[in-house]
Amino acid sequence: MTRTLAHAAYVLFLGLTTCTCAAQAADVVKIGAPLALTGTLADEGKKQALAYDLWLTRVNAAGGIDVGGQKKKVELVTYDYQSDGKRAQQIAEKLITDDKVHVVMSPFGSGHTKIVAGVAERYGIPVVAPVASSESVYDQGFKNLFGTLAPNSGLVDAMLTLFTSEAPGIKRVAILGRDDVFPRDMAETLRVRAPSAGLEVVYSEFYSSGTIDHSAALSKMKGLAPDWIYITGYSQDLILARKQMHDIGLTAPIVTMITGPAYREFIDGLGPLSEGVTSVTWWHHTTTYDGDDPWGSTKAFYDDFKSRESTDPDYIHAASAAALVAVQKAIEHAGSLEPAKISSALRTLNITTFYGPIVFDEHGMNAARELPILQVQGQTVKVLFPASIAQAKLVTLK
Amino acid sequence: MDVLQILVNGLLLGALYACIAVGFSLVWGVLNVINMLHGSFIILGGYLAFFAWRDLGLHPLVSLVGIAALLFAIGWSLQWGLINRIIARPVLTTLTLTFGLDMIVYNFMTLAFTATPRRVALDLGVLNISDVVVPVDRIVAMVLAFALTGLLFLVLRSSTLGRAIVAVRMDRDAAALMGIRVDRIYAITFGLGALMAGACGSLLAVVYPVTTMMADQFLGKAFVVCVIGGLGSVPGALAGGLALGLIESVSGHLVGPQHAMTIGFSLMILLLMTRPTGLLGTQGYE
Repeated sequence: MTRTLAHAAYVLFLGLTTCTCAAQAADVVKIGAPLALTGTLADEGKKQALAYDLWLTRVNAAGGIDVGGQKKKVELVTYDYQSDGKRAQQIAEKLITDDKVHVVMSPFGSGHTKIVAGVAERYGIPVVAPVASSESVYDQGFKNLFGTLAPNSGLVDAMLTLFTSEAPGIKRVAILGRDDVFPRDMAETLRVRAPSAGLEVVYSEFYSSGTIDHSAALSKMKGLAPDWIYITGYSQDLILARKQMHDIGLTAPIVTMITGPAYREFIDGLGPLSEGVTSVTWWHHTTTYDGDDPWGSTKAFYDDFKSRESTDPDYIHAASAAALVAVQKAIEHAGSLEPAKISSALRTLNITTFYGPIVFDEHGMNAARELPILQVQGQTVKVLFPASIAQAKLVTLK
Repeated sequence: MDVLQILVNGLLLGALYACIAVGFSLVWGVLNVINMLHGSFIILGGYLAFFAWRDLGLHPLVSLVGIAALLFAIGWSLQWGLINRIIARPVLTTLTLTFGLDMIVYNFMTLAFTATPRRVALDLGVLNISDVVVPVDRIVAMVLAFALTGLLFLVLRSSTLGRAIVAVRMDRDAAALMGIRVDRIYAITFGLGALMAGACGSLLAVVYPVTTMMADQFLGKAFVVCVIGGLGSVPGALAGGLALGLIESVSGHLVGPQHAMTIGFSLMILLLMTRPTGLLGTQGYE
């Protein structure tokens, strides 16, 4: 029995070493990415896929990534996980054990990122999360998880600071959040932090995902006459909520929808009703950064994007491309494709890109950023904050 | 005022639910087919209304007629060419087929139109009756739901085609022996179900952002409404829709929107335990 176990352990050891050697000796850099190309997150998944392709085309056109003085082409291994968490888990396993990728890019959102990071952690493979911002994902003790978005609390603090200074009359805030990882976290963070900024939370509720009517919540809100209405959710929820607010005649000096105005479809879907809605986001194409990346500046990234697409890039596109830039730079700094060395290089990474600075804190979050606050003014998005790139002042709605 | 507004909200929401569910109920009741395509048909109607509005400048209330006719043709063809081949098999077989077809239609739409939410950004205005606010688009949806249900009820009661549909529902074999071409009736009924989904979808494009992500939500609502209202009964879909709308509106106000759906589903389970036929259902379809 002992002999059998020892034999099995030896075979396993051989398998593992063969696996590592195969990965190390690879002629290409293999990056794995479970993508939600179908299902409820298809829209976001496709944005990720497009951003990855933009980066891949640029990098491979330049000969690939420099690994210890030798340029290696990049192969992106992607699978559609159909917006299904369980499938994302299986695909992450397959990418690591079967496709033998060097790095995994996590799917859209905090929930699925947590799942994939859990798998990769077992194998010691670095995971870079382009679109996951909930602190609850990064406080799990994962040593190989890095995210390009800033923490949610940073988004909320930025708004509290700007709104209370530019509209000192606001006292009462009403919060309605989608009961889903990111939107819930953003609603909950404001509920907890608003009182310390001198605001009274007069309404705070959640709605289930799949809700196709907000009239009950909005009618109740109307009776409470809030100065600041703050709703979180995804584009379809927010378009519906804004329309129903208009239907029942509910408004307030400040109406914030996280992260509605960051997406073009929010403005297109609402037309004049989108006017005055504020939000905060991780990136906007009007920011102006010069960076050490395949594009070199925010404008160059924007132009490259516009040469392929008719719409404007949003933060998902930018954060996804930036996540791959982080991987590229980490591999270059590490001079190796060994997962532990890539993780180590990611931990000490300190770069500026078209997307802004990327520096990961002790939990793996990219915290060193000033986050743009937006408002729809004249059917276009204007940046209100930070002051260095502000295009307009806050306009209150009534 | 508050109480009245909550009730009005509930009735308007209920009418939308009824609008979503009428076609689904008809197909389930007559064909004994749980049409998993129904949600995608509604979304397809919504997309067609959106493109007709954006690219051709057609108001959704105008394009609705053409879209309904087109969806009828699609539904008729699917039933005639595919579903009829296995219609006599157990309900799970037809459910699996429509599930497979739904995946094709759903993914086709996601590929062709992307899942980006799109809405016909028209404002039909609101009516303000002694502080109770009623959006006009919802009233139109309500009228449509009532009109479609009423029309269907009349067709089933008074026309030869309607009597044939009812006869097939009661006893397929006996209807065939009486000279009714059962496969044709099935195709027409499935076509009518798709027609209603298309009409409802084009109207919903004004109220909701259209995205393939909503297909499952609409299908789920149609399912619950049919179970509450009762299978095999067209007015049952209306009653079920209104009941669910009122329940969700009142509970959303009293215990918070987070629990509104849970309460709706709990009451559905309670109803299934105490009255399996639903509110207006016919014995034998539960």
